[in-house]
Amino acid sequence: MMKLWTVVKREYMQRVRAKMFIVSTILLPLVMSLFALVPAIILNIETPPLRVAVVDQTGKMFAQLKQELSSEPDQATTTTGQNDNTSQRRGFGSRGKFVLDEVSANQPTEQIRATLDQRLNAKELDGYIILPPDFLSSGKADFFTRNAGDLVSYGRLSSALNRAVRQQRLIEANVDTKTRQDLFKPAELQAVRIGAGTQERDSGERFALVFGVGLVMYIAILMYGQIILGAVIEEKETRIAEILFSSVKPFTLMMGKLVGVSLVALTQFAIWGLAFSVFVLYGASALAASGVKGNIPSVPISHYIYFGLFFLLGYFIYGTIYALVGSMVTTAQEGGQLAVPIILILVVSFYLFYPVSRSPDSNFSFWVSMIPFTAPVSMLVRIVTQTPPLWQIALSLLIGFGSVLAIMWVTARIYRVGMLMYGKRASVTEALRWARQT
Amino acid sequence: MPQRSIKGTETLVAFVLFSGINDKRTCMVASEITVKLDRVTKSFGEFTAVKELSLDVRAGRVFGLLGPNGAGKTTTIRMIVNITAPDSGSISLFGHKIDQKTQDRIGYLPEERGLYRRMRVVDQLRFFAELKNFRGRKVEAKIDEWLARVKLPEWKNKRSMELSKGMQQKIQFITSVIHDPDLLILDEPFSGLDPINVELLKDIVLDLKRAGKTIIFSTHQMEVAEKLCDDICLLNRSQKVLDGSLREIKRSFGRNSVAVRCEGGDGVLDDPALVSKVVRHADEAHALLAAGADAQVLLKRLIGSGAVIGKFEMVEPSLNDIFITKVTEST
Repeated sequence: MMKLWTVVKREYMQRVRAKMFIVSTILLPLVMSLFALVPAIILNIETPPLRVAVVDQTGKMFAQLKQELSSEPDQATTTTGQNDNTSQRRGFGSRGKFVLDEVSANQPTEQIRATLDQRLNAKELDGYIILPPDFLSSGKADFFTRNAGDLVSYGRLSSALNRAVRQQRLIEANVDTKTRQDLFKPAELQAVRIGAGTQERDSGERFALVFGVGLVMYIAILMYGQIILGAVIEEKETRIAEILFSSVKPFTLMMGKLVGVSLVALTQFAIWGLAFSVFVLYGASALAASGVKGNIPSVPISHYIYFGLFFLLGYFIYGTIYALVGSMVTTAQEGGQLAVPIILILVVSFYLFYPVSRSPDSNFSFWVSMIPFTAPVSMLVRIVTQTPPLWQIALSLLIGFGSVLAIMWVTARIYRVGMLMYGKRASVTEALRWARQT
Repeated sequence: MPQRSIKGTETLVAFVLFSGINDKRTCMVASEITVKLDRVTKSFGEFTAVKELSLDVRAGRVFGLLGPNGAGKTTTIRMIVNITAPDSGSISLFGHKIDQKTQDRIGYLPEERGLYRRMRVVDQLRFFAELKNFRGRKVEAKIDEWLARVKLPEWKNKRSMELSKGMQQKIQFITSVIHDPDLLILDEPFSGLDPINVELLKDIVLDLKRAGKTIIFSTHQMEVAEKLCDDICLLNRSQKVLDGSLREIKRSFGRNSVAVRCEGGDGVLDDPALVSKVVRHADEAHALLAAGADAQVLLKRLIGSGAVIGKFEMVEPSLNDIFITKVTEST
């Protein structure tokens, strides 16, 4: 045990003291927030408003359409009268504006179209809509544009027109304003979870949490799998392995490495978690003041414990596979190539999220939550949907952590025999034979 | 001869002193044999690396495990340090079966060796000491002592990647002795070292022997082995071809060796009736006389052939001669 501790201590201290650790601890959150910010910034880039002329041959639709476009959430619509529109402030996530221009429909359609085509070619307009006299009954209208590829604007115009025509039809049917508003009120479907005695509201927060845990696990494995791989190969590349094996059992060495690197990972995630909590605590009051609703999901304490346990299970299961790969190769590059399928399995285990959440009690869900590689995500999904009996959760954890030990045992054997025969990458059959050798 | 007996007494005194630390029973048994191999066999698949090998390594002596490349030296050592297990036969250390505890009493410097590149020398040495369950304050003192001994005290806080190759080798050597082992196993310890550092390490090895430590020393450099070893075991093709005290082995080969420096007369030295084996060096030849041949007859024949003789001396065979004779015989 003392020797295990010595190995763990070395792995941990060497890595935590390294500049790389400090740099990545600070830099990664910055990079992550950049990833979150850049798309928002790009989406917010100012584009000139889209100038659309409307030929309203029904004589009733222009006002409705204008209103529907301006009542879009976070959307400001201006008419030709307001030329200072570019200086107008817009909300976050705004996607560009429309400038509507009503064109008199007193002339024949061909003549109007000719004039408008000219304006279109002169780039005074971006497009025009012709609402024919029978538009209210037929619902068919034409949109002429230079840029038919602008699907977003097209979609928005089309849905605004859709709403406008419905309103107008209701008006024509003598439906009063109040009834019209009531008619358009959306329905809200709330999922209510039937628990033991209590009925809890479940508005997807649990799923968000499970997804969050899975995501953190995924990031941890992506980041630290390679480090575990490197740690296992380190003694081969530096040729220290044989000295170590004269002092410590290969299994102790492998375990020490896995635990040491994992403690580094936990340290880093704890630092980020702490920083995040501080940020949330300070930020929450500020957000509350600005009217944003933020609440901690109502999840039983036991679930948080499960989150922790299955996170560790997932991390260790995939971590040991990296160690196994490391034991079979001689250089980190080789290991990197061999490690690609691991990520694939991980991604597959993520997709199980959907079938398992649909029928958490099925045989399929039971089995995937017992297989160590898929258990972490699917068992968590089962826990937050229909909590399975405790024995199932315990069994899943037992199988999982048992597999970690078993894989480490095989890893240690392959590593040792591989070390005794230098310079050769093990094929799978060789690795199996090595595992059986003493 | 008198010098020899003094050495023996020193060894005995040192051994009594050091064995006081260990439990009495171990000491009783270990007083004779430190390492005992009994008909040990080890194969890797089809290939037999070590075959029916029996060895006794006596306490407080330098034991040379010699043999050409691939003779099974490293496999033998790996079994002694408990890295691999023998397929059959038994190995005992300090009178016990090998286990984790006996492992801590061994210092091992393998032929394949290295250091953690980014680790400071002092951390590195402490790590290796702790892996042998040698921990606490005394480690720091030992580290300083050894760094001073190999003349690298100012490198204590440097990372090993900053050290030259020779310096790294000396640090590697310290990793094998830092925990004050009773048995020290060195596999080609001097390869790649400059002559000054070879002398330094040789002196350290002899000091350790004087302090009662048992040293197993594996090499194919016969000149070095000849100067250091008390006992030797010669391996070839997985099997023992010769073992015992170096002195006795040399004596048993007798003075049937002749060092000759002459011009001409090559044909005479190649006559199998007179010379069973000839090894030619740069300026002289070592001829091993054939069974029943007389050196005087050889000398007469040489003169008769018209050779100009610069040197004609009866000598003890060198370890190198013995090595080559035995290896060719058994092949």
